[in-house]
Amino acid sequence: MVFHKINLTVNDEYEEMVVPSNMTLLQMLREKMALTGTKNGCSAGECGACTVLMNGEPVNSCMVLAVECNAATIITVEGLARDKQLDPVQEAVIAAGGVQCGFCTPGILMSSRALLNRNPDPDEKEIAEALVGNLCRCTGYARIIRAIKEAARMKPGTSALSATD
Amino acid sequence: MSLDAHPGLPEFEYVKPETLAEASQFLAAHRGEARPFVGGTDVFVRMRDGVWSDRYLVDIKCLGDLNKIAFEPLRGLVIGAAVNMNRVIAFQAVREKYSVLAEAAESCASYQLRTRATIVGNICNASPAGDTIGVCLLLDGILDVHGTDGMREEPLGSFFLGPGKTSLRPGDIVTSIRLPAPPKGLAGRYIKHGRNKISDLAIVGVTVVGCPRIDQASGYRIRLALASVAPVPLVVDEVEAILSSKKIDAKGIAEAAQAAMSACDPIDDVRGSARYRRLMVRNLSIKALTDVWEQLRK
Amino acid sequence: MGRASDALVPHPIGESKLRIDGRDKAIGAALYTDDLQFGNALLHARIKRSPHPHALIKRIDVSKARALPGVKAVVTGQDFPGYIGLYLQDRQIFCRDRVRYVGDPVVGVAAISENIAEQALDLIDVDYVVLEPVLDPELGVSAQAPLIHPDLEKYAVVNFIFPEPGTNISNHFKIRKGDVDNTWGQCASIVERRYRIPHIQHVPLEPHIAVAKQDELGEVTLWGSSQSPFAQRNLIAKSLGLSQSEIRVVSPYVGGGFGSKAGVSMEALAVAIATRARGRPVKLRLTREEEFYTAFVRQGLVAHFKMGCDASGRLLAMENKFYWDGGAYTEYGVNITRAAGYSCTGPYEVPNVRGDSYCVYTNHPVGGPMRGFGMPEMHAGLEQCIDELALQIGMDPVEFRRLNCLKTGSTLVTGGRMHATGLLQCLEKVSEAIEWGSKAPPSAPTKRRGKGVAIMWKAPAMPPNAGSSAWVELAEDGQVNVGVGGQDMGQGSFTIAAQMAAAALGVPYESVRIAAPVDTRYSPYEWQTVASRLTWSMGNAVVSAARDVRRQVLQVAAEAWGETPEDLDIVNGTLISYKSEKETPLKNLGIYGLPKPDGRGWRGGPIIGRGSFMPSDVTGLDPETGQGEKAVVHYTTGAQAVELEVDLDTGRIEIIRGVGAFDVGRAINPEMVKAQMEGGFVQGVSSALYEHLQLKNGFVQNPNLVDYRIATAVDIPGELQSFIVEVPQDDGPWGARGIGEHSMVPTLPAIANAIYDAVGIRLEGPPFSAEKVFLAMLDAGIVK
Repeated sequence: MVFHKINLTVNDEYEEMVVPSNMTLLQMLREKMALTGTKNGCSAGECGACTVLMNGEPVNSCMVLAVECNAATIITVEGLARDKQLDPVQEAVIAAGGVQCGFCTPGILMSSRALLNRNPDPDEKEIAEALVGNLCRCTGYARIIRAIKEAARMKPGTSALSATD
Repeated sequence: MSLDAHPGLPEFEYVKPETLAEASQFLAAHRGEARPFVGGTDVFVRMRDGVWSDRYLVDIKCLGDLNKIAFEPLRGLVIGAAVNMNRVIAFQAVREKYSVLAEAAESCASYQLRTRATIVGNICNASPAGDTIGVCLLLDGILDVHGTDGMREEPLGSFFLGPGKTSLRPGDIVTSIRLPAPPKGLAGRYIKHGRNKISDLAIVGVTVVGCPRIDQASGYRIRLALASVAPVPLVVDEVEAILSSKKIDAKGIAEAAQAAMSACDPIDDVRGSARYRRLMVRNLSIKALTDVWEQLRK
Repeated sequence: MGRASDALVPHPIGESKLRIDGRDKAIGAALYTDDLQFGNALLHARIKRSPHPHALIKRIDVSKARALPGVKAVVTGQDFPGYIGLYLQDRQIFCRDRVRYVGDPVVGVAAISENIAEQALDLIDVDYVVLEPVLDPELGVSAQAPLIHPDLEKYAVVNFIFPEPGTNISNHFKIRKGDVDNTWGQCASIVERRYRIPHIQHVPLEPHIAVAKQDELGEVTLWGSSQSPFAQRNLIAKSLGLSQSEIRVVSPYVGGGFGSKAGVSMEALAVAIATRARGRPVKLRLTREEEFYTAFVRQGLVAHFKMGCDASGRLLAMENKFYWDGGAYTEYGVNITRAAGYSCTGPYEVPNVRGDSYCVYTNHPVGGPMRGFGMPEMHAGLEQCIDELALQIGMDPVEFRRLNCLKTGSTLVTGGRMHATGLLQCLEKVSEAIEWGSKAPPSAPTKRRGKGVAIMWKAPAMPPNAGSSAWVELAEDGQVNVGVGGQDMGQGSFTIAAQMAAAALGVPYESVRIAAPVDTRYSPYEWQTVASRLTWSMGNAVVSAARDVRRQVLQVAAEAWGETPEDLDIVNGTLISYKSEKETPLKNLGIYGLPKPDGRGWRGGPIIGRGSFMPSDVTGLDPETGQGEKAVVHYTTGAQAVELEVDLDTGRIEIIRGVGAFDVGRAINPEMVKAQMEGGFVQGVSSALYEHLQLKNGFVQNPNLVDYRIATAVDIPGELQSFIVEVPQDDGPWGARGIGEHSMVPTLPAIANAIYDAVGIRLEGPPFSAEKVFLAMLDAGIVK
């Protein structure tokens, strides 16, 4: 087995890791960095529970090799809140009743944060399309979509991330 | 197959060459046990399923100009092999001059997968269901290929040999796809029919492009390609023949759609039956052709 | 309890409090089983499974697997002779002599990494003698069908399930009421139909997972994503010959259950392997693929309906026969069969009924509980027959239901009487909201629009003595801790428990904490988190425990202040006297009591309250007639209506809008009740339009999310309204009864009825995929 030394930034912290070729970003986050907020729902890029931001863009972390993350900037759900201040997408999803079992929630929040970064005022159709890769079995999605619409209206600057991330 | 899916990826060696020459050499030297990859959305799934078991995965993302997307009025649009679909969709020249490519790319998968998936990857995967392949074929796409004996061009028309099979040789790396400068007045439409509204693999995909052409009897050149209904992405030449030879009207469109239906050769699979696919080819061809016709007439 | 006006309902009952675990889940801090850290002692398990739907095991050779470096334990069925099962013990932890479905566990391996365990599987040789499989439940009951469980008569079984030894029938529930045969002649209209409802799967976002460890004393700890910690403790202990207290089950947050994580499925495998792992914890997780074919699935159903009514539209007779494709093991599925049997008329009054509900073994994946517990499968066809019957006599389908649906006091199929119910109100609400009777023009010339309605009923299906318990204690800081054994898998039971404890005690909701995760060592007993029973049953226990605390607090204060408890109250966490106007925060006497009036000594001490609830008057049902005084504890009833469009070019269905109304007795948290209605509706739409576990020769063809489609964010209806109807449950907390499952029950038939309204076709079964709808229209000449 070949190991690779990589360095990367995860939730604003600089990290140096040694990873085997076949370890995914998801496995590295969960098994080597104690960042268990990102979830494993299918290991096949279909459910979106493993969504994180890589260099500002949402990816299924089960479909990215850890070794590909050398010099990358990763944000996970644990990095959304800033100094205990929740990101508007978090506040809004909680308030709207868009959390039930919570397993899809981290992935949904990351996709939503990325959407608002690139499109600050999406309509419901755009929100739904941005979330098509995040499966939810509990809520029926409507409350989540309304929540993101609401989050878009919330005060700018309350987000942990700016559009330049 | 899915019943044999493993929990994780099997062991392999990740290799990241520094130059294209090095990459081609490595791939040729390890033919049969090395594979180039960019986004990995096909590779990782198949390796986990046990379908592919390459010893080496060669990351070509950072080589040469693979990350560039550019448009020049004479050359046309050049999309590097590592440019992800979201970047293609957002690229201004694509939106303005090749909007049907954006439409096809937007129908793929999900935003997360499109951050990793690429147009060139879609082409090299040579799945008959590939959403963006039809557009590239109809717009006379040309692949730039780097092999052990240097660069060459491969026109897309002769690239696909069967499901998952292309004319690439060991050591070959597709570095970009070039879509020539679009004809004046280009109109296009991609209709994808899946089980869900979006995000599914295509049960049937219909791509139509058209443009005004004074040298055609009808005054227009209209071409049609089909996804998921033949072993390879299928350009139906007869559609072009019918719609160039006489005045275009609903009857002609219906005739062309019938020709598309006759040309396709779908199978029964978990996603749909051959019977349904054939009928959808007809119905969706009518829709797409009518749409493009209406765009052209404006 | 009883009929309470709003003025008597204490805060925060009826308030839509934010869920108690919302923040933890939104910041990624909520721990699910795979998030727990076990250090480097942790071993990883993988299972070698049967590649055949039906075969005898001739020989197993694990020697090469045992020798692989990193492998720490290899177990087979030889090590575990015990049977396991909830209602019928027909399953063994690992197969011993026979495999009965593709995926049946044969060997378990634990190794230092998941990859090594996976590699070890390839080193195991198993020789099988392939047997003919049973792939259809109607064929499965025939005399020529191979027997899947030849030892059926030897299996332990509860006294309300009736297997037929020597056959593949593991339960046969009967209704024999009135005189069906001589009633058909009186019917002005008869409908006779067969419906085939395919298998589907729950698709919880979190696949099944369990970690088990056995220490030197033989005590087992099981961490798992579980709806049923206490049932798992009970069943696994029995199967391994341990006593219940020797197994401790801890269940962290559950990432979706929908019934799949009830009872015992893969958890027993982890425990079994752990007993050979020399004290090391063993983690077993299902891949998403395994989730589709080795975890519980929803049974398939072949349903034969025959029903007739008189000229005025009154239902006279029903003859319904259900053949349930129960799968390889029906230890849980037998009760689904029974529930469908005692509900087989649907929510209608029908004087003459013959019902036969058969649970049939097949060599298919294991059928188990899924949201609705037989009700969605049954109503799927039944509510379509009702529509057909109505239209056949020229009666409006809503009017037909108005006439025949159960009202308070109606006679039930099982002979008892219907309790107070708002079913009619639910029907009226949805018809009004969907603007029944009017038709909007389609949105395009190639679309057809239609409306459809369906009603439903469901009782919690459980043994007559399924109990709940709770404790409530006060902390020094005024916080109230509530211990429960019921799980929150997203439906909100922790939030509801906190609201009810707060209301019964007189403290703010924000000061209540739920002692989670549920841990059978410390948590009070709860039968299972299923059947939509927690709000009602666990709720009663929580309220009882909170009132016990309240009584003790008032008693202590009364003694300390020289007053009577009747003059005292707890309001917003403060103990007050209406008489002397003395007051003190509750925290002042939660632990340390109060000083005696004369200053000599103390009264009170640490206050802890207990509560327990168990239904007491469910009677049995006659095994031959299915009649009995009180078949179930109660029913939740409801209705849904949809408006949809059919695309004539493709057959695709688009749900324009949906409406639901359910009688929940009392909505403890209205927004959360509505959230259940919304989630169930979408799951119902998904099951109607997309979902189908495709089985061919016993093999699941689509065990992955690429080819088993579920509704995504863009597949939901344009508009969805949810109405709460409240006709109180006489023995529920402030009148409450359950809602979790019911919103998935009428959706499919409402859609089917709307499709018929739009284009005049009915399909023999779901999914109403674009292909099936289009080809049906083609064959009917509606399109070319």
